[in-house]
Amino acid sequence: MTRKIPQIICALFGMTLFLLYFSQHPTARNLNLTILNDYFQIIFAFTLLVGVVSFVKVNLKAFERGEDRSYHLVSVIGVFIMPLLAIIWGIKGDSPFMWVFENIQVPMQATVFALLAFFVASASFRGFRARSVQATILLAAALIMLLSRSTIGDMIADQIPQIADWIRNYPSMAARRAILIGIGLGSLTTSLRVMVGIERTWLGGDK
Amino acid sequence: MKKLESRHYVFLGLFVVILLTMLLNVRLEIRVSPETQKMYNYIDSLPEGSVLMVSFDHEASAVPEIKPLALSILRHAFKKGHKLIGVSLLAEGTGIGYRLMQETAGEYNKVYGRDLVYLGFKPQYIAAILSMGESIPETFPEDYLGRPYTQFPLLDSVKNYDNVAGVISIADGSLTTHWIEYAHARYHVPVTAAVAAVMMTTYDPYISSGQLHAMVGGLRGAAEYEKLLKIGGSGRRGMLAQTSAHLYVIAMIIAGNIVYFLRRNKRVKS
Repeated sequence: MTRKIPQIICALFGMTLFLLYFSQHPTARNLNLTILNDYFQIIFAFTLLVGVVSFVKVNLKAFERGEDRSYHLVSVIGVFIMPLLAIIWGIKGDSPFMWVFENIQVPMQATVFALLAFFVASASFRGFRARSVQATILLAAALIMLLSRSTIGDMIADQIPQIADWIRNYPSMAARRAILIGIGLGSLTTSLRVMVGIERTWLGGDK
Repeated sequence: MKKLESRHYVFLGLFVVILLTMLLNVRLEIRVSPETQKMYNYIDSLPEGSVLMVSFDHEASAVPEIKPLALSILRHAFKKGHKLIGVSLLAEGTGIGYRLMQETAGEYNKVYGRDLVYLGFKPQYIAAILSMGESIPETFPEDYLGRPYTQFPLLDSVKNYDNVAGVISIADGSLTTHWIEYAHARYHVPVTAAVAAVMMTTYDPYISSGQLHAMVGGLRGAAEYEKLLKIGGSGRRGMLAQTSAHLYVIAMIIAGNIVYFLRRNKRVKS
């Protein structure tokens, strides 16, 4: 019974939302709007709560075990400080919340993201080798793309941007389309399997 | 002291190269690509006073790349006299979007409520996109600062996507896909995008099929757009760092392969 009820709710809402998406009837559109604006937001609030509780539990357990205590402490303090700042002073304009966001979070995230450039440079030296024909083709394509996305490519030869466009418009796009179609068919199949109850892993397995 | 490894020298080299290039402040000539020109033409060809929805669908980590792009697009739109409605479907983009819209509105003497309104963040992006197709005031009953939707003259005639000339998604990830798949496919609103360079190939199939009307991408796209607008900006300046970093990576690839072939030949001989 504990598995049947969630399955019935899932199938019912899945079918309802599917039908509502295609219906132009005013009642259907109003119902759709209510579900999108109210139900989805309530679900989001609960998932957020689950995420926060799980994050705090994991970090506190790690703190108790004595692993990298300072990092876990900063993480937990951050989780509580930000909502506190938001509740007391709000999140708009020149609030302390925005100050922390703009002067701590944005530079930190940008720094971490920028570090990728250093790892790419290191990986290009140590791992990007012309070991086979396929690797050589990949390497040549990478060099052309790198040149085309800098200003030097245009200066060296007019053909470099043209070759880069050809790579993007033919081999790259063919692969991308295949992936997109695969994802689409996969999503459709999985959704149907969940709705009709064949796929039950989201309930914790087949037992 | 720990001995430095080869990768540490590679890191140091990249840092020095970027630093020197930025200090030199060389002015590089940039050729405008057809895709950037298409985006420019799209905004340029809209009748004055068109209402555009700008969605800040990015995280804080992408700000150095996204900011020059967003500023160029916003400046162009304001310069042409378009009205802008700002939204954000990723929490981190909310504050950044508000700041950028305020900054550019100030440059062109635009009045909040008449020329621009910032509606802020709505969680659950697919639900938000679909919901705005039915009713924008019900999706965002208040603007970012908590004032009622009905208070703003700009929003008097804006009920859903039918009253919006187009959506510009400023994104560092795949969120533009949802604008294409739901706002364009379901409600037929033209969708354009300003995206991080790494995401450009993701959207190529949508550009090719016409589902995504136009796209401008990366620092290079921002630099090209600044050239079209005949203004200086962080895009053109950022291209210096990007160009030098790209050349450095190319040099590393070549050096790595020379070392690889020399070692292989040595092994074969021995």
